[in-house]
Amino acid sequence: MIGKLRRYGVGVVGFVGLAVAHYFGLFVAPGEAMMGDVGRILYIHPQTAQASMICFLAAFVCAVGSLWTGKSGWDDAMASFAEVGVLLGVLLLAQGCLWAKPTWGVYWVWSPRLITSAVMVLSFAGVLILRRLVEDPARRATWSAVAAIISAADVPIVWFSVKWWRDQHQMQSDVAKDFAQTFAWVAHTSWFAVMLLTGWLVWLRYRLARVERAHLETAADLPARAAPLNLDGGGEG
Amino acid sequence: MTGIIEGGWGFVAAVYLLTWGALLGYTAWVGRRLERLESTTEQGNDA
Repeated sequence: MIGKLRRYGVGVVGFVGLAVAHYFGLFVAPGEAMMGDVGRILYIHPQTAQASMICFLAAFVCAVGSLWTGKSGWDDAMASFAEVGVLLGVLLLAQGCLWAKPTWGVYWVWSPRLITSAVMVLSFAGVLILRRLVEDPARRATWSAVAAIISAADVPIVWFSVKWWRDQHQMQSDVAKDFAQTFAWVAHTSWFAVMLLTGWLVWLRYRLARVERAHLETAADLPARAAPLNLDGGGEG
Repeated sequence: MTGIIEGGWGFVAAVYLLTWGALLGYTAWVGRRLERLESTTEQGNDA
């Protein structure tokens, strides 16, 4: 019971925080001045975007650590950040498409922000696919680290795209200016809850990666251990 | 933009349902895999 509480406690706090923020964002806070109720996406969409980009930047740092040290912990951390980042990135794109339809009249436009975001998510999805295709752990770690470093180059481009190429996508949300101050805490609470959940999900995924690796290494060791036993046991019977 | 966008609650609901579904689903998927693997490891150690 204590073990479960320790493992899932932070996640529960994150989900409760998110539920409180979303309840107030959806049912108590007023609609946005121009977008009306559609503007309520601002209580989840920018938070998802930032969490996704932080994951990809962290995956970049872990990829460098993996190449530098060759230690499997960095490789597993890189994969964990990349996987949670892709989950959040796919959510980010889906949220954006659902918001765009009532706002712009279409689900998708070839806006620099949307294109660079899609490239970012697809690149890191490619890193995860690459990891599935390469069986040798050392080669998998090297190749996927290099792929993650290349993919991460798009993250700052996504962030600055709305400043470099102005189009229909608005600039980054600023809680101090974009929200009525009475309800700024809702956006802040949602931000903290999303960050807490993201960190916790990466930790959970990292633990799974470590257990999986230990499991595979044990399985790989078994025939090697069994071989001399078989040889020794050849004269039995 | 010429005026306040009317309606859109269906899209807003879809955004939040999708987000919550994905986060809870991923949590359950990772948690279940972790617990299954750990129990397999414990059984292996016991044997």
